Amino acid sequence: MDTEKFIERAQAVAARVSRAADEEAVAHLIAEDQTRFGAENVGVVRAACGIAETGTCVVITDDEETRLKTMLPEVSVIVLRADDIVPNLADTAAFLRERQSGDRISYTSFITGPSRTADIERVSAIGVHGPLDLHIILLEG
Amino acid sequence: MSHTPPASNREYHRQIADSLADSFLRRTLDKFAVEYRASRDKVFSEVAERELIGRIAEVKDSAAKHIEDLYARFKQEAERRGAVVHRAADAAEACAIIAQIAAENGVKRVVKSKSMTAEEVGLNAHLKKNGIDICETDLGEWIVQLRGEGPSHMVLPAIHLSRDQVADEFEKATGEKQDHEDVQRLVKVARRELKPKFHEADMGLSGANFCIAETGTLAIVTNEGNGRLVNTLPRVHVALAGLDKLVPTIDDALTALQVLPRNATSQRITAYTTFIGGAGPCAKSPTGRKILHIVLLDNGRTKLAADPLFSQVFRCVRCGACANVCPVFRMVGGHRMGHIYVGAIGLVLTYLFHDRKIAKTLCQNCIGCGSCKAVCSGGIDLPALIGEIRARFSREDGAPLPARLASVAMKNRTVFHTLLKFMRFSQRPVAGTDGFVRHLPMALFGKHGFKSLPALAPKSFREQWPTLERRPAQPKMKIALFAGCAQDFVYPQHLKAAMKVFAAAGVEVVFPMTQTCCGLPLSMLGETATAKEVARQNIAAFAGDCECIVTLCASCASHLKHGYVRLLGAEAEAFAAKVIDFSSFVHDKLGRDVLRLQPRPEKVAYHASCHLCRELGVKEAPRELIRRAAEYVPSKEEESCCGFGGTFSAKFPEISAELMRKKLENVTASGATRLVLDCPGCAMQLAGGADRQKLNLRVTHIAELLADALAIGLE
Ligand code: SF4
Ligand code: SF4
Repeated sequence: MDTEKFIERAQAVAARVSRAADEEAVAHLIAEDQTRFGAENVGVVRAACGIAETGTCVVITDDEETRLKTMLPEVSVIVLRADDIVPNLADTAAFLRERQSGDRISYTSFITGPSRTADIERVSAIGVHGPLDLHIILLEG
Repeated sequence: MSHTPPASNREYHRQIADSLADSFLRRTLDKFAVEYRASRDKVFSEVAERELIGRIAEVKDSAAKHIEDLYARFKQEAERRGAVVHRAADAAEACAIIAQIAAENGVKRVVKSKSMTAEEVGLNAHLKKNGIDICETDLGEWIVQLRGEGPSHMVLPAIHLSRDQVADEFEKATGEKQDHEDVQRLVKVARRELKPKFHEADMGLSGANFCIAETGTLAIVTNEGNGRLVNTLPRVHVALAGLDKLVPTIDDALTALQVLPRNATSQRITAYTTFIGGAGPCAKSPTGRKILHIVLLDNGRTKLAADPLFSQVFRCVRCGACANVCPVFRMVGGHRMGHIYVGAIGLVLTYLFHDRKIAKTLCQNCIGCGSCKAVCSGGIDLPALIGEIRARFSREDGAPLPARLASVAMKNRTVFHTLLKFMRFSQRPVAGTDGFVRHLPMALFGKHGFKSLPALAPKSFREQWPTLERRPAQPKMKIALFAGCAQDFVYPQHLKAAMKVFAAAGVEVVFPMTQTCCGLPLSMLGETATAKEVARQNIAAFAGDCECIVTLCASCASHLKHGYVRLLGAEAEAFAAKVIDFSSFVHDKLGRDVLRLQPRPEKVAYHASCHLCRELGVKEAPRELIRRAAEYVPSKEEESCCGFGGTFSAKFPEISAELMRKKLENVTASGATRLVLDCPGCAMQLAGGADRQKLNLRVTHIAELLADALAIGLE
């Protein structure tokens, strides 16, 4: 239920969504992208959770390297376990609070579709300073 | 469209004329206004809009009350995670603090993501003066920076520019020929040109949408991806935000995040929402950690937080929706509607943060339609704040002559009504002057041309009253009728039609002769003391026994119902509770079997008066009644303002005329031959316009339609 909604909402903001039954299938999908776009143009990260309501991937990006992988390459691949999808944005509160518990320093990115703008004549354009293509691989089972 | 604030009223009108003549701007903003409405409705249909807005208002109101506690908590939490938190008393101090941070860290180049607060303090100019190169990286901001302008919208900074103009600018910036048609290609130019800037920069400068006190976290909302590059690649990150961005908890931020993107760009969430909790690792920094400074700006905010009325501005999340739905913004664009911040909130913030003189001119340019208030993310009563600013100007700088005269004349009902009769008998007819007849004393002063004006009726309603049938044989209920000046003296036919409807439904009507003007024009002119006096006179006049106080004027109804309680508090509550507009009365209080109507073979369109559909929230009743009386033909943008707006049509006839033209265009396109409405002000505007344009369109009050459709034979 949440998975279907997640897919619909992510696709509505121009994300590509693939389903993978196991890690092997995930690896295969990543390799495909790397062949198609060139390995240096593909950044791969794992999401901590997803939000069905918005089609969002929540990624822990505390370290710079992970963060830059979601920003600089033209193709951004995010692997998300279907079991980690929560229904709504508000459901991420406990997770965010936990990430800041004690003195913990954190940087959390909610990523929804590829980067976009409508700044010129309100024409929607995909891929401004971030990725031109966001590929979400949903790991099921 | 240059962005110099108007030095005088006359200059302001010249600037407005330029905007109205800018056909690209007009087309763009027209299209935007219509498309925004539709996409906003769609994306809000998935959430409990009013409830979320109510929660934002609650959180922000409480934040305003506890601003010092929140600041202390935020500072403590952010600093234990390696950030340095500064507090700047005003714009100059904010600039100085940031220049100091730059100097201490040997910063030469700065990349910036969108920050209205930076615009507020004039940061770019200050850093440039200090020899620092500062580059905007948000596409729209970069474009306006290249042109040496300010943003014309808080969310869409370059909405006033065509792709052609953008291509010109890019040609200058790159020295290369650019595609003037393909927007996607122009976007790629920005990507290519700005990429090296991110890598070269020593400092990234950003705003923040929420500063979460419980964890010292910054929440930043962006779409283009520049924001995250700005706060990631350079070794120093400075975030500048107003103290009003403080919220207590993560949950509060998440609540507001359900509304902000929906209201700003009709998105469920933006492409990137980032939560920065402290100074994380950073390869380029000498210490291996990000050098993170957070500057919280006061600039009048703590004083505001304590203001009983203006503390509402703390609820603003800068979504820009109040511009998107504003009929004035749609006509003139953002550069004519705010100094730095634009739209309804721009008028208010120009007064609070910037220049009183500019604000005095700009704040006149609000028609009071209430569209902004209806969509505001924080439920801010923007028209009331704008009205209060106008009132303050007239209290502090002395009221203009017409306001003072109105005040003197209307204090005493007999004088006022004698004056009206004098105007009728004098050979100099009121028609041909202002036409602001609902607020009659003003009629002596303005000028008009775009619509025909009604003359005062030969016999006012109150003069005809003794001859009218008002007590049916077996009355089913008893009501009191509030006439309102415009219908009493200009459109008595509205009231007479209503009398027919009441008679047919067996309703007994009393008309207290000591009633007077509702006082709305006085409130709008800032004459609060007289407005209160007039309100008390009316409350006394209607002290007698009746079930409802019915009025055919939506503006009077909203003022009697809400305005009186605002002015007088508990003293007005019993009176206000009885006030009801004509359509709601007929629809809600008289059953279908009590008032029998015979549908007429007539195509009828509806204009929803601002005061009825937004201030009173009455939407279905009039439409339902039209369906019972004729063939209802829906038209586009039924709820958009007709352009009358009381004194507005006299002050800004050029804008008023355009709004009227648009309205009549939509109505005629529906194929209707009659247009009905619930307000004599709108009737004056639209009947005048239809006559002037020689349209085959009758403009009547809804009471007249119902009177025409009475199924008398069936009785
Ligand atoms: S009340 Fe209407 S005209 Fe005035 S600022 Fe709000 S939307 Fe604009
Ligand atoms: S005043 Fe309300 S509508 Fe306008 S920008 Fe602020 S939150 Fe948005």
